[in-house]
Amino acid sequence: MAARRRHRALLTVVALAVLVGSVMAAVAVDAAETPRRGGVLLAVIGADAPSLDPHQESTFATMQPVAPLYSTLLQIDPYSYPSIIGDVASEWTISPDGLTYTFKIRPGIRFHDGSPLTAADVKATYDKIIFPPTGVRSIRQSFYSAVASVEARDPSTVVFKLKSPSASLLSGLASPWNVIFPKKYLDKDPNYFKNNVVGSGPFKFKSYTRGSTFEGERNPDYFVKDRPYLDGYKFFVSTETSVRAAAIRSGRAYIEFRDLPNSEVEAIKKQLGDKVVVQTTPFVIQFGIAINNTVKPFTDVRVRKALTLGIDRYTGGKVLYNLTGLKDPGAHTRPGTEWAIPPAELEKFPGFWRDAEKSRAEAKRLLAEAGYPNGFKVVLKNRNIKLPYQDWAVYVIQEWRKIGIEAEHRPLETATWYADGRDQGNFELMIFPAGAYIDDPDQLLYQYITGSPQNWGRFSNPAIDDLYSRQSRALDPAERRKLVIEMQKLILDNAYHMPGLWWSRNVVHWAKVKNWIAPPSHFTNQKLQDVWLSED
Amino acid sequence: MRTYIAKRLLLIIPTLLGAATLVFLIMRVIPGDVALLILGGDQGQIDQKQLDAMRRQLGLDQPLLVQFGTWLWGVVRFDFGKSLWTGQPVTEELLIRLPLSLQLAFMATMVSVMISIPLGMLAAVRQDSWVDYLIRVISIGGLAIPGFWVGILCILFLVIFFGWGPPLEFTPLWVNPWANFQIMVWPVLTVGYRYAAVTTRMTRSTVLEVLREDYIRTAWAKGLQGRAVVIRHALKNSMLPVITLIGTEFAFLIGGLVVTETVFTLNGVGRFVVDAVAHRDYPVVQALIFLIAFSFVIVNLLVDLTYAWFDPRIRYR
Repeated sequence: MAARRRHRALLTVVALAVLVGSVMAAVAVDAAETPRRGGVLLAVIGADAPSLDPHQESTFATMQPVAPLYSTLLQIDPYSYPSIIGDVASEWTISPDGLTYTFKIRPGIRFHDGSPLTAADVKATYDKIIFPPTGVRSIRQSFYSAVASVEARDPSTVVFKLKSPSASLLSGLASPWNVIFPKKYLDKDPNYFKNNVVGSGPFKFKSYTRGSTFEGERNPDYFVKDRPYLDGYKFFVSTETSVRAAAIRSGRAYIEFRDLPNSEVEAIKKQLGDKVVVQTTPFVIQFGIAINNTVKPFTDVRVRKALTLGIDRYTGGKVLYNLTGLKDPGAHTRPGTEWAIPPAELEKFPGFWRDAEKSRAEAKRLLAEAGYPNGFKVVLKNRNIKLPYQDWAVYVIQEWRKIGIEAEHRPLETATWYADGRDQGNFELMIFPAGAYIDDPDQLLYQYITGSPQNWGRFSNPAIDDLYSRQSRALDPAERRKLVIEMQKLILDNAYHMPGLWWSRNVVHWAKVKNWIAPPSHFTNQKLQDVWLSED
Repeated sequence: MRTYIAKRLLLIIPTLLGAATLVFLIMRVIPGDVALLILGGDQGQIDQKQLDAMRRQLGLDQPLLVQFGTWLWGVVRFDFGKSLWTGQPVTEELLIRLPLSLQLAFMATMVSVMISIPLGMLAAVRQDSWVDYLIRVISIGGLAIPGFWVGILCILFLVIFFGWGPPLEFTPLWVNPWANFQIMVWPVLTVGYRYAAVTTRMTRSTVLEVLREDYIRTAWAKGLQGRAVVIRHALKNSMLPVITLIGTEFAFLIGGLVVTETVFTLNGVGRFVVDAVAHRDYPVVQALIFLIAFSFVIVNLLVDLTYAWFDPRIRYR
């Protein structure tokens, strides 16, 4: 009897202990997930902004520091890429013919100078982007060529009227570059925002020292209730990769939003262990090679095919990944997305055969047929940046040597690289990166159409142009996908351009940085409105 | 002496004019169009009208002579124009960066002088001893090892073993001396080491030469103490080439430390020059080259005047 009582007591004690432990664990978990207010997010960035106007720039050096200061009409859902959700827009409708998009603006949004954000500001912003006045650059203007007009029907309604249906308009309006500016400043000077900031974002501009730091502070009047959590953020400019990595290691900075090489990531992980988190994501950027289709011998499709057959991309992805982050062989859209050619079909095209020896044999045969049985010499121009430009070039050159092509590597300073490649066509072969902020065919395939400033290879194929135009207007996703894949196959068949490897990125941050998910682009999810620090 | 100084100051004008003309022409000869760069970026779609408007905005549609004349007239009024890249006045951009570069140059020079002259003398006096060999090895190391590598190793050492890194933001000395010290001590030591290596070797060579002179033998024969012979007689007479070297190196430090500035995240003149060249930012490059040329000219003048103090036989007319 006594033993039974003791046994029952023991069981009770154990049960109570388990119960208390569970409650404590639940409280601990709950406390860990509850956002903490306060603190300043310290970040390092690898370049200085040429200007503060995202409409006129295309570098992360502008986007990352200024994105938290602004709002956009739509945005890519930070938690569900590539879904599009509203930012300034609370809802929208699309007419049945696909030619009218009507957006409702949230009430109560104010710019940092206290003035209300209305449809007039959205109209003025998009007029600047789509119909820029003379002397104002808008480097994404052509992505909105389907837009006929933008109207502010009333203070809370903005209407986009299109000339033709556009499959990409919503993702175009979700561009992180299309920040909403106050109309009154644009009316005075469209270039006002190159050096000034008046936004409606979760943070307000605090200070900017060129080449050194950029700071923002919390906007207490932000239109999303109880946001942001942070008191502010601060970017430190440091162009040297190892120095940025050292800044993370020492805790002088908590995050580097773009990318650090695997070697640095491993060293940081080894030193700091669980104190840091590494988010590895694919990048919507690929490194390939532009072929100048207007100069011999590249006017001959056999030579172009031989060059692309000569590169073993699968081995390249393995060899280069740790050094550079270049990883996945793919065509002109990112592998693994709905727009990519399925791997089984891709492997039938030159440059993507699994059997590297067979590829090389075929490359040599084509070269001989084209009149180059012993190969030839060529100059491969490149940009004077190591990661991953030069590493990619070195790999490609040694691959070509195996088929008798002797390529001289010629790194150029950025200005000259643009001059030779984009502007004058003064090259034979050129290392060429291509990317976008979202996996959208309009953005990724624009460079393969006739006359595109991004068509460095200077080729022209009306069938490709037609497919691009049709996919851009195809509102049925299945139909659009079919056209996008067909367009890529046509480019591959003719080897006008050599796609290479798609990039992936490592974002390292201290574990105390919470609620930030690395998207496939270093231009997006930079508003920081939901980010919090679990400790200072 | 006053006449000499006045003549030298007047000679600055043609020197700077020559430097300005040279850099103006070179910037316009090298490939790359700043208007295209500004408009294009990574994904530019450029319209010819936009390009022409940008060139007009930047004043690049004017004849070269007009552009040069406009810029030169601005320089006379201390107005170096606006950066083609940022649109900010060049003077403002310079004032952000110049104090840091000057402090780095000055402190590195001080460190170098404090280390190199005693070490150089010691190596000369103890020639072919283990002291001499040790000093020579250390100074050859300073010459052979790239400064940026030393800098990166320095930072990595601190980060790995102490979990500490230098601040990422420059704080002026008068705002917070301790914060300023934390960020400046490492680049100063890195640059000072390399600088000291050069000066140590020069000091050793010149002191060795002077120690072989007859008047030094006479001084020994008279029974003077070693310290008196070396410091009072030998050192002063061997300083002329050393001062020249110190002066030249100091002037170089003002705009020549781009790699050190990059490694230590210093927003100095060196990085600014390189960025400006990459962006084809003509007004900034012209202003900076002008400034660097001016520094060299002034430093050379000061060095020449210092000669007169060290060597009373030198008199300028």
